[in-house]
Amino acid sequence: MTKNEIIAKVNEVLAEEFEKDVEELTPEANIKQTLELDSLSLVDMVALIDNEFGVKIANSELASIPTFQALYDYLDSHIN
Amino acid sequence: MLFQGEEIKQLIPQREPIIMVDMFTLGEQADEAAATGLTVAATNIFVQDNHLREPGIIEHVAQSAAALAGYTTFRQDLPPQLGYIGEIKKFHIHRLPCVGDTLHTTLRVLGTAMGITLLAAEVCVADDVVAEGQMKIFLAAAK
Repeated sequence: MTKNEIIAKVNEVLAEEFEKDVEELTPEANIKQTLELDSLSLVDMVALIDNEFGVKIANSELASIPTFQALYDYLDSHIN
Repeated sequence: MLFQGEEIKQLIPQREPIIMVDMFTLGEQADEAAATGLTVAATNIFVQDNHLREPGIIEHVAQSAAALAGYTTFRQDLPPQLGYIGEIKKFHIHRLPCVGDTLHTTLRVLGTAMGITLLAAEVCVADDVVAEGQMKIFLAAAK
């Protein structure tokens, strides 16, 4: 899976799940603020990433993924 | 490992008359975390007009999730912890089970983050799916 394919898939599934426009999901945007995630809905994102990419994000790693760019990089490093 | 009858109390903190799970076993399929059961008795507090009402089905799923969490603490020789429902989502009840029906429920863990677990549940009577949906649960901190 190329990096561009990861980016496109991440944006597609997150925008759909959290009812956002794909255009809002820019690389530098903060994930929690953009998707309006709280402590309850954070698990939805983790489950979605696991289901779509087979990558489990550990609690200890969540803090190091504040932006979409960080998420793309994280997935790229774990998938490829 | 199979738990049934009184053995269920080793997994869940609930007690009569609100025990809504009478069987628990680990899942047999690769993507299945656990399977639970409940035979609907006429004396069940959630039964009305010979049917298990909606809150009873939801409580059954919640206690199924509690039993799964309880199994983890049981293996560590700890008592069951109190659990809380954080959210119920995408939950559909297709029909109400009747008195005498046996619910067979399968649980799948969809994800876990910051102490909150997202589960998918499917409740069947025989081969008929009577309810399905997702539930977020979290456990009270151990004392």
